[in-house]
Amino acid sequence: MNVLAKTAAAALLSASTLALMPTGPAFAETVLRLDEVAVGELDPAKASDYADSILMFNVYDTLVVPAQGAPGLVPHLAESWSADGNSHTFKLRKDVKFQSGNPLTAEDVVFSLDRMKALGAGLSYLFANVDRAEAADENTVTFVLKEPYAPFVASMLRLPIVDKKLVMENLGDGDGDMKDWGQAFLSANGAGSGAYKVTAHNPQQETVMAKSADYFLGVPDAAPDTVRLRYGLEPATVRTLIAQGEHDISSQWLPPEVLKALSQDGAQLLTESGTGGFYVKMNTTKAPLDDPECRLALAKAFDYSAAIKMIAVTDEISQGSPATGAIPVGMLGANPPSNELSRNLDEAKKHMDACRYNVGDQNIEISWIAEVPLEERFALLMQANFAELGIQSEIKKMPWALFAEQVSKAENTPHISQLFVNAVTGDPDTLLYGMYDSKAAGTWQSPEHLNDADVDKLLEEGRVNSDEAARSKAYHELNNRLMAIAPSIYGYDRQSVFAASNRVKVPALSDPSKAFGLDGMGFTFRLMEMQDN
Amino acid sequence: MRRIFYILLSNPLSVIGLVLVGTVVFSAVFADFIAPFPSHRGAVVDFSNFNQPPHWPNIFGTDLVGRDVFSRILYAYRISLILGVVVLAIAVPIGVTVGLAAGYLGGWTEFCLMRLTDVFLSIPPLVLAMSVMGLLEPTLTNGMLAVTTMWWPWYARLVYNVTRSEAQEGYVLAAEIIGASRLHVMFREILPNCVPSIVTKMTLDLGFVILIASSLSFLGLGVQAPTPDLGSMVAEGGNYLPDSWWLTVFPSLAILIAVFGFNLLGDAFRQVLGSDQ
Repeated sequence: MNVLAKTAAAALLSASTLALMPTGPAFAETVLRLDEVAVGELDPAKASDYADSILMFNVYDTLVVPAQGAPGLVPHLAESWSADGNSHTFKLRKDVKFQSGNPLTAEDVVFSLDRMKALGAGLSYLFANVDRAEAADENTVTFVLKEPYAPFVASMLRLPIVDKKLVMENLGDGDGDMKDWGQAFLSANGAGSGAYKVTAHNPQQETVMAKSADYFLGVPDAAPDTVRLRYGLEPATVRTLIAQGEHDISSQWLPPEVLKALSQDGAQLLTESGTGGFYVKMNTTKAPLDDPECRLALAKAFDYSAAIKMIAVTDEISQGSPATGAIPVGMLGANPPSNELSRNLDEAKKHMDACRYNVGDQNIEISWIAEVPLEERFALLMQANFAELGIQSEIKKMPWALFAEQVSKAENTPHISQLFVNAVTGDPDTLLYGMYDSKAAGTWQSPEHLNDADVDKLLEEGRVNSDEAARSKAYHELNNRLMAIAPSIYGYDRQSVFAASNRVKVPALSDPSKAFGLDGMGFTFRLMEMQDN
Repeated sequence: MRRIFYILLSNPLSVIGLVLVGTVVFSAVFADFIAPFPSHRGAVVDFSNFNQPPHWPNIFGTDLVGRDVFSRILYAYRISLILGVVVLAIAVPIGVTVGLAAGYLGGWTEFCLMRLTDVFLSIPPLVLAMSVMGLLEPTLTNGMLAVTTMWWPWYARLVYNVTRSEAQEGYVLAAEIIGASRLHVMFREILPNCVPSIVTKMTLDLGFVILIASSLSFLGLGVQAPTPDLGSMVAEGGNYLPDSWWLTVFPSLAILIAVFGFNLLGDAFRQVLGSDQ
C-alpha cells in the first residue's frame, strides 16, 4: 500500500471517528406522530374534513378563534370587530407576519375570501351570503353581507388567511388574471402565518410540519419541534405502533374495542365533544318513509341504549352520549341532558298502526358507509330492531363516493343512511341548515330530502335574528318540530375519542376548561406539551 | 372403482384431504343441526355478549354484535360451497365446449375461440373479477358471475390441449371414417377421454374458487351483511387485531382447511386417474 492510500485511509478513519463523537450539548428534537384518514387536503380553501382541519388550524390562522372552556369567540388575527347592519368590520393586529416573512394585511383577508368564493370548494358555502370584502386600510377589513346572517363572525373560524403575495408569485396554469388561484402551489405548500410550517406533504401518505420560529404568539419550547401526520393507517397498525411507543395520537376513527385495548395497555384517552351527532337519516320522499308516522315508528323502535353500549370505550369514556333531540346537548336550542331519547316499542307499534302503509309489504334499504365499519353494526342493530315491528330490511354497503353521488337524486337515495354530522363553526346553523333546509336537499348531509315549510321558516329565523334569546327560542322550536316529524333518528351526541401515548400532553383534549368546542381545534400543536419519557 | 378407493386410502395425504373435505361438506350441509346458534347467521344482535373470546357455549367467541363465530363459520361454508359448485357448474361446460370446438374444428374457429380465451387469461384473475363486481351490485349471484367470468378460460385451455392430441388418435379417425357427425366425435368420442383431467382440475379448483370468493369479500365486493362469509369475517376482524384475535383466526383457519383439503384431494385424484388411464 502506498503512502497516499495510507494517508487517505487514516483521514477517513479520523473523519468517521469525529463524526461519531458528541459535538457539544445536544437537545433532542421532539417529534409528534399522529394519523388521520386517507387524503390530507392542504389547500385551505378546499379543507372540509377533520384531517384538513388539523392542517388548516396549524399552518394558517383565522381572524377569531373559539374561547377555551367557554362559549363564544376571542380575537386572534383580529384585535376587535364590530357589526353595523349587514357590514362586519375587523381590526387586524399589526405584528403578524406570514411564514414567508410577508406582513399580514387586510388585502390578504380580502384575497382569502375571494379565493374561497372563486374556488367554491370545501366549506365555501359558509360564505355564499358574503357579497364582498373590502380593505379600508392596511389593518381594517369589512365584510358586506347580502342578507343578515347572525352567526357570521363564527364562520370566520373557517376562513384561513392566505399569503396573497406568495400565492401571486406562484400562480399555475389557468385562464384569466388569477389563472389557477394558486391551487397547484397550495396543494403542496403552505402559505400561512400559522405556528407550524409544512416541510413535506404527500396527501395520501404523510405531512411533515416544523415549528415556525417567528410565530406572532410564540411557540412554547414544550410544543413538538416536528409533527408527522400520517394518512390512512389501518386500525391494527395504529394499535401496534402505539403499543410499541412508535406513535403518539390515533385518529378518532378507531373502533371502540381498539381504543379500549390501548387504554388497558396504558395509553391515555383524549376527547373532543359538543359539536355533532350520529344521525340515522330517512329518505322522506320514498314509501313508506314519506309518512311521518312510519318514520316515528322507526325512531321509537331504535335501541338507543344498545347504541350507547356499542360505542362505550371504558366505564367513563364513550364515543358518544345519549341524544336528547336533533341538536346536541350544549348547543343553542338543545334539550337538557335529562331528556334522553329511549326505545319504546309500544309507542312504535302505535305509530306503525297509524302509518298508511302495510308493514308486511315494505322492504327497507339500510345503507352503511363502507369506510366506517362501526356503521355496519348499527345497520345490524336497526335490522333487528325494525324486524320487531314486522318490517323487512336489507343492508347495503356503500363506498362514500357512491353514496355522495346517489344522494343527489331522491329516487336513488337509500331509505336509510347513517351519517356523523358536525357543526363546522360550532353554531347550530352550520349543523342544521345543511341537513334540513329544503334548499339544501340532496347533498351528503341531507339524504332526508326534507321539504317542510315550518322547518325552513325556523331555520331562517335562527340565521337572520341577531338577538341571542330569539335565536335560542327559534332553535328550540325547530328541535321540537324535528322531533315531531322525525326526518332522522337522532342516534347519539358524538364525542371524538383518541388514544394517545404518554409522551404527549394535550390540555385542549383532556381538560374541559381548555377545550375549544370546535372540531379539530384541539389539535393545535403549539398548545401540546411533549414529555421527556 | 375399488382400485381407485384403494389408491386413495393408501396415501396418507389423500386421506387427510378426504377427511378435511368431508368435514367441510358435512358442516355446510348439516349446519342447521350442528350450529349451536342457527339464528346467528342472520340479523341478530346481542349486546350483552359481544366481542367475547372463546368460551362455552361460544367456542370460537362472539363477533362485534354478539353473534356466535362458530355458527357463522358453518353457514359461511355453506355459502362458499354453493358458490364453488355453481361457479364450476357454469364455467366447466362453457370452457369444455370452447376447448373441444377449438381443438377439434381448428381453422378460424380455433383462432377466434383461443384468442378470446387468451384475452381473458391475460387479465389478472382478481382484477377481472373486481372489475365485474365493480360494475354490478355486490350480491352472491353477481359474485358467482364475476368468478365464473375468470374461471372458464382455464378449462377451455385444458380441454383444447387434450383434444388436440386426442384428435390424432385412431379411434377418432375410425369414427370419422364411418361417418360420425362432428358433434358425436367431440362429445361422445373425445370428451370421455378428457374427463379425468377435468375432474382433477375441478377438485383442485373448488378450493381456489372459495379462496378467490373470500378475497372478493375481503375487499368488500362479496356477499353483504348479515350473510355470513369467510372473507368478510376475516376483513372485519382484521381491524381488531391483535386483541380480538378470534374474529380473524378462526375464519382464516376455516378458509385454510377448505382450500388445503380440496388441494390434497385434487392431487390424489390426479394420481388415481392418471394411473387409471
